[in-house]
Amino acid sequence: MKKLLSRILFWLGFAIIPIFLATAMSGKTSITREWGLAASIIIFGAVGLMYLSFELDASSPREIAVIAVLGAVGAAGRFAFAALPNIQPTTFIAIASGYVFGPTAGFMTGSTAALVSNFFLGQGPWTPWQMFAWGLAGSSAGIVKRLFPHIGRWGMAAFCFLWGYFFGWILNLWSWTTFVKPLNWQSFVAVCAASFWFDTFHAIGNAAFYLLFGTGFMKILNRFKLKMTVTYIGADD
Amino acid sequence: MLDRFFYREKGLFLQSLHPLSALTYIAVLLVLALVFNHPLYLLGLLAVTVTAIKALDGIDAWKTFLRVSLGAAFVIVIVNAITVRAGETIIWHGPYIPVFGRLNVSLEAVCYGADMGLRLLDIMSIFCLYNFMIHPDRILDLLSRFSFKSALVLSLAARMFPTMVSRLDSIKEVQAARGVDFNAGTLKEKMGKYVVLMKILLLTSMEDSMETAEAMYARAFGSGKRSHYVRDAWRPRDSVCLTASLLAMGVAMYGWTKGLGTFSFYPRLAYLIDGLTGIVLLFAVIFLLSFPLILSWGWHNCPFIKSKI
Repeated sequence: MKKLLSRILFWLGFAIIPIFLATAMSGKTSITREWGLAASIIIFGAVGLMYLSFELDASSPREIAVIAVLGAVGAAGRFAFAALPNIQPTTFIAIASGYVFGPTAGFMTGSTAALVSNFFLGQGPWTPWQMFAWGLAGSSAGIVKRLFPHIGRWGMAAFCFLWGYFFGWILNLWSWTTFVKPLNWQSFVAVCAASFWFDTFHAIGNAAFYLLFGTGFMKILNRFKLKMTVTYIGADD
Repeated sequence: MLDRFFYREKGLFLQSLHPLSALTYIAVLLVLALVFNHPLYLLGLLAVTVTAIKALDGIDAWKTFLRVSLGAAFVIVIVNAITVRAGETIIWHGPYIPVFGRLNVSLEAVCYGADMGLRLLDIMSIFCLYNFMIHPDRILDLLSRFSFKSALVLSLAARMFPTMVSRLDSIKEVQAARGVDFNAGTLKEKMGKYVVLMKILLLTSMEDSMETAEAMYARAFGSGKRSHYVRDAWRPRDSVCLTASLLAMGVAMYGWTKGLGTFSFYPRLAYLIDGLTGIVLLFAVIFLLSFPLILSWGWHNCPFIKSKI
């Protein structure tokens, strides 16, 4: 029962943004000037649903410790690569952990990395959006693995590349709903055009990370996934 | 360099508030900044926030927030100016652009963009205030009462993060001692060197995480109901600040349903000051939101007030 509820909450959290986006663009709502507030409530709601889903999910101390470590590695990655402009391994780490450990763990890794690194880089209005975007990158990787088990190296590289843009667009949603009027696809395109080069660098960086080092990273993570599996043997066996 | 952007314990009054009342205060400021679009109201909120930041001795860091916000505000003005068609006072007839149509810039759109830039500055300042006012651990403490697994993940990660950054430094030193030059080579070669860092970090930290998990097993983690204790004291100051914040929220919401605090930009700019009630409401909200600041002043300057709160 708890497991089912956890699944339902997870998918609800997943669906909330596309519904929101469609509503904002259709212009057929009674909300006229409070889109900034509505967007904030919705993003907090989406992140909250995902966390609630994790809370209800049965997870062992090993999973909790591994998720925390991966989140911290993702956060530390934002510092390690500070010397190279626009290249950050956080998206790649979230995707790799989601791919190996499944959608829920992927979400928790990505969102933990965002929140924890911002403890030190400074929290801002972008924090819940980053938590959601990186979390979604992780959990979608887990879903992709279930849907296409044989996606292959180039498929995953393309997936990482696309996430460079998705990440930017999700973050643009915030500035778009809060500071731009009217909300229609033209204004959204204008906001995305302003961030086009940032997103492109991010996308290329992600794909490069995956192509050059994806296999090695996955190997390490898979080894620990095996280590995490515990089988209890009864006394009379 | 970055350490001036996050929380440091300075023993100031605003830092001594209970996390619940501090968080409510920040949340009220944030909601009001998102609900109001009247420039005077946004300026009032900004004044309160910046005074609070000053009381927390954070003006230097705030100046960086100011610079970033002004840059982003410029982008907001441009996007609004080129995409909005609702304004009547056209100040520039531009050329025809494929996706957007004819580029007509109206005064109203520019003003709306500037107002939204002000809102952005408000929001950034509120988060700057948050960073200085509340210790992350105290928030996690509060969170752990009702969602202990997520709070545990976050506090574990927050604990490990500084360790990892310093571990990264030592791995880098070891690599450098072996002759790896992190500044040499093409971008691809540089990336390779940094990724080796990440791999070593990942391997060692994952080994550590297994040990953390063993320690949690040994302490019977997850075997039954979790015990917790309360460390933060609830003092009179918290009741005062919480009541003032909630009252400010109530007054503002009442005014907002009456249409105060909102400013109409299109098709033409409205009057900046439209009747007395709007101004009275503005002062009431600002007064209520200033309560923590007044108490902070009293706590630092008046022994009698300090003894009572």
